Amino acid sequence: MHAVKDLSFTVEKGKVFGLLGPNGAGKTTTIRMVMQILLPDSGSIEIFGKPLTPSLTDRIGYMPEERGLYKKMKVLEVAAFFGEMKSMRRGQAVQEAKRWLQKLDLAEWTEKKVEELSKGMQQKVQFICTVLHKPELLILDEPFSGLDPVNVNALKDAMLEMKNEGTTIIFSTHQMEQVERLCDAICLIHKGEAVLNGPLSEVKAKFGRGRVHMRYEGDAAFLRNPAFVSGFDDYGKYVEIRPADGIPPQSILKQAIGEVTVTHFEIAEPSLNEIFIHLVGNKGGGQ
Amino acid sequence: MSKSWILVKRECLTRVKTKGFLVGTLIFPVFVLLILFLPAVFMRMGTEGVRRIAVIDFTGRLTMPLKSAAAEIRQDATGKSLYTVTAEEADSKTLASVKQTLNRRILDGRLEAFMVLSPDIFDSNRYELYAKNISNFQLNRTLNDLVTGAVSKIRLSESGLNPEFVSRLNRRVWAKTFKVGDAGAKEESGEIAFMISYIMAFMIYMVLIFYGSYVMRGVIEDKSSRVIEVLLSSARPHQIMTGKILGIGTAGLIQMGIWALCLLFVSAYGLTLVKLFAPGAQNLPIPSVSPWTLLAFVAFFLIGFFLYSSIYAAMGSIGNAESEMQNLQWWALAPIMMSFFLIFAIGKNPEGPLAVVTSLIPFFSPILMLYRISVQAVPFYQVILCFALCLVCIVGMVWLSGRIFRIGILMYGKRPTLPEVLKWIKYS
Repeated sequence: MHAVKDLSFTVEKGKVFGLLGPNGAGKTTTIRMVMQILLPDSGSIEIFGKPLTPSLTDRIGYMPEERGLYKKMKVLEVAAFFGEMKSMRRGQAVQEAKRWLQKLDLAEWTEKKVEELSKGMQQKVQFICTVLHKPELLILDEPFSGLDPVNVNALKDAMLEMKNEGTTIIFSTHQMEQVERLCDAICLIHKGEAVLNGPLSEVKAKFGRGRVHMRYEGDAAFLRNPAFVSGFDDYGKYVEIRPADGIPPQSILKQAIGEVTVTHFEIAEPSLNEIFIHLVGNKGGGQ
Repeated sequence: MSKSWILVKRECLTRVKTKGFLVGTLIFPVFVLLILFLPAVFMRMGTEGVRRIAVIDFTGRLTMPLKSAAAEIRQDATGKSLYTVTAEEADSKTLASVKQTLNRRILDGRLEAFMVLSPDIFDSNRYELYAKNISNFQLNRTLNDLVTGAVSKIRLSESGLNPEFVSRLNRRVWAKTFKVGDAGAKEESGEIAFMISYIMAFMIYMVLIFYGSYVMRGVIEDKSSRVIEVLLSSARPHQIMTGKILGIGTAGLIQMGIWALCLLFVSAYGLTLVKLFAPGAQNLPIPSVSPWTLLAFVAFFLIGFFLYSSIYAAMGSIGNAESEMQNLQWWALAPIMMSFFLIFAIGKNPEGPLAVVTSLIPFFSPILMLYRISVQAVPFYQVILCFALCLVCIVGMVWLSGRIFRIGILMYGKRPTLPEVLKWIKYS
């Protein structure tokens, strides 16, 4: 049994890299190997152009998918502690922690115990614990899960700011929209192997253009005609359509107008969501 | 090492700062003080409880010697007489009514007991004793002794012997106990020496179980709260395990240090303090503990703690939730409990082969060797051998536990079976 096999990818410095894959694909195992929590049976991992050594972990920040903080400790104490664990000096760690708590609207919670915070706030504290020591490489496992849109935005801004300061970011997620907006390059893992790997634009180009994205009202039964449509992903009011070979999008529109009320029609490149579902083979799964 | 130090600091401080630690640390000195002062306080309260005994003496000769002998029995705290004996007049006609009056006085609580000494007491060797509580052994025994003394005094003088002279001839002999150690024999009460050794062994027993389960709970908490993975991104598994064990061990050492100081203080100033409260107190069991025994106490706490906490840490890493602690901790609990029960087996002969062999087994040493050191002098080579064996065993256990720990902390879900754990040790 292999959790990850023949996996190979490269992350360019200063870029945002998306590690994608269905549940159980091997993302966490891969990240754990990078963090030296697990050792690979074979193969090699290099970071900053050097083979892994324990001291390198101080230059990396890692936020695991399963968040973990000391619930009984005060917010500032926890953040400073994790800073110190990355070889920061105590005073410096406290100062940085305060700056970040201010920045993420947690200033008034500094002296509260972690368990008194809401889940979303705890997650922001966890993020602070991860970035406190100004890592050169930031690895975030599902950073946005469980956050409301306001906090998603705050976190995204913080990530982009770090990117602009030169930090390389690897993050894994299921939310393809986030990937599409944030990532420069991706690697899609399925059953422990990379099925897709490279800059986002190249990946998309490989799947060609000619997709139809349509917003509509009514019963879109015409989509089930294989002569016109080779595949689709229907959300009830919105559908992504892959026209059958030789069928121009125009004739799909013609068909649609006869049957439903079309409010939006667009010819676009395939969404990452579609590529994901197509490759992982989980048809009709949706989001 | 510096990361271990940060972990140690956190583990220790978060525990020492809790209310539970403060209460747990103070409860022992409070307990010791209570044990010391309560008897003195009770004695003081008991000063008014002079026991009144009435005597109906048909021989006419026993009342005087009884009274004078009873006056010799003193209270511990005040030095006053504990018994007052009063004579009640009666003849065969009034006996019934006098008895009734006395019965009532006993029921009213004005009288402790009364006795009827019939004229044939010198032949029958029997007298009648009336009391509310006739199973008060101490009272029965004291009164029996008093009457026996009075009767034999009369018998002796009737036979023409001088009672004082005979009683000097018959005086009982008591043992004065000495403890034999390297420093030569030293006078000490046998019972108290046993009590101190037993209490110290019991404290090690409790502390090993307490702090061991702290380590185990700590590991399980870090695992179930998923902090462990965040820690693993900054430190190596062995650093995390060391941090946990040393941090909690330091907290334990602080507590033990306070307790040891408390014991030293009591053995040095206890009697003086108690005398302030109860001037009559002379023979209170004030423990005297030699500094060497205290040193052994701390040393064996450390040995026991490192040995067992590494087992507890490994067991904790296997578990997923605190509810599993009950089952898992038996691996450490069983040898600790066994060594405590072995005290009773070796107690009679702490120099015998069973005692020597069991106390040299590292898992039993913290309790058994400490017990042997505190009750008698263990040959120096055995102490050195014991420390050496323990050290080797600790290194082995830490290594073994470390291998289980680094895999265990990442395993969630079904608890692994013993063969699976053995496989981890082999391949990790």
